[in-house]
Amino acid sequence: MLRWACVGLVLTLTSCDDLFQYNPNEETLLDKDKNLTAKNIERIGLLPVSDTTRFILMGDSQRWYDECEEFVRSANQQKDISFVLHAGDISDFGLTQEFKWVNEIMTRLKYPYVTVIGNHDVVANGSATYRKMFGPLNYSFSFGHDRFIFVNTNSREYAFDGSVPDISWLKAQLAHNPGKKNTIVVGHVPPFDADFDKNLEEAYTNALADDPTVKFTLYGHQHRFYEGQFYDDGVNYHLTTSMGARGYMVISTWKGGYNVERVEF
Amino acid sequence: MKAMKRYLLSLLLFISLHSLAQQTGLRSRRSWYLPDHLKLQFAGNIGFLSGGPGYVSRNKTLETDLLFGFLPQKFGGDALVTTTLKTTYSPWRIGLKNGYYVRPFSIGAYLSYTFGPQFDTKWPSYYPAGYYWWATSIRPGAYLGGKAGRNVIINNRRRPLELYYELGTYDLLVISYVQNKSFLKLRDIVSLSLGVKLGFD
Repeated sequence: MLRWACVGLVLTLTSCDDLFQYNPNEETLLDKDKNLTAKNIERIGLLPVSDTTRFILMGDSQRWYDECEEFVRSANQQKDISFVLHAGDISDFGLTQEFKWVNEIMTRLKYPYVTVIGNHDVVANGSATYRKMFGPLNYSFSFGHDRFIFVNTNSREYAFDGSVPDISWLKAQLAHNPGKKNTIVVGHVPPFDADFDKNLEEAYTNALADDPTVKFTLYGHQHRFYEGQFYDDGVNYHLTTSMGARGYMVISTWKGGYNVERVEF
Repeated sequence: MKAMKRYLLSLLLFISLHSLAQQTGLRSRRSWYLPDHLKLQFAGNIGFLSGGPGYVSRNKTLETDLLFGFLPQKFGGDALVTTTLKTTYSPWRIGLKNGYYVRPFSIGAYLSYTFGPQFDTKWPSYYPAGYYWWATSIRPGAYLGGKAGRNVIINNRRRPLELYYELGTYDLLVISYVQNKSFLKLRDIVSLSLGVKLGFD
């Protein structure tokens, strides 16, 4: 009798949310924390478009929650920002709990934010959680004069098996640009990094260089500001630093040009 | 839900069969290797439900348990199987009326192992040494708690039956908390678990 009473008690208590945890790698999410990419793209679609689009690129929030909160305070002071791009490594251990914490912080932004998956976000059940919480690992959307393509470049997490980054998907996305918008490819691991598949580096960089609408491309991962035309092919590579290093970039784009500004907080 | 019910039933069946075996066979002196108790636990990062045998020190203050935990997909988003070795120290016993007693303070630690191809104990060779410093399959954790119990008669034998609670956390959350004391509060890294212990002594 007592035993069944206990079982009943246990079942009743499961209705609570955060009080009980069942496994560090559980993927339990409330509906408000699901499909955030689609929800935020919808919000971005409702924003007014002007000749110049200004957005923020930040990244590597992994286990830097206090700093990430300070980033939000700093970002909210910026003028005329439309949205924020998170360059990946949202989490450090790939735990759902970490994704939820970062999302809690990022929803205090005055702007919608979208993400690209980082290598730490793939760890353990991380990529499954990323899919549920944000959405597909490769996706794209357009805003104003710009088209953003987000691509999973974390080759090492897939044992360099040739599947990541998905070059054929990327090429198809680049080819599908009837409006000749500026194309901005966003990834976590830059192609010259040791964590990027060496066998795909050339195919990847050529795909970008062969598209005249690609003027620059954005990354995180190395926890430092870094930029250059590393392949002498007309494409500028820009890396933003980590939250731990307290920096981010404000990027302005217009038809035929762009500007990158580094901000420290 | 169905899977969980089946899981629960088999655990309870195991408990009752075990006590039946005790009654017929080993009445006076129990073999050293037979467990001293069984536990059934809810939550605590080692499964939705976990259960298994355990041993207790002669002075009844130190318990060591081997728990088999299961988290159904319905409650976890992913079905996960975990085995856990945990040790609990409950130094004080306060006797109450009618055979009731409380052990007001417990402190313990555990090591859990979660099965699955997505979890690593030793990282594969395509990672440089030390690329990720933690193992995703093994989690060490610690907890504080307490328990209350009484002796009940089951199958004509006196059995100590205890209810316990534990407030616990694990390594990765502790590190996150220590480095982010402004954003994270203690309640963000601590979760509650509840359990039942049925003794055989």
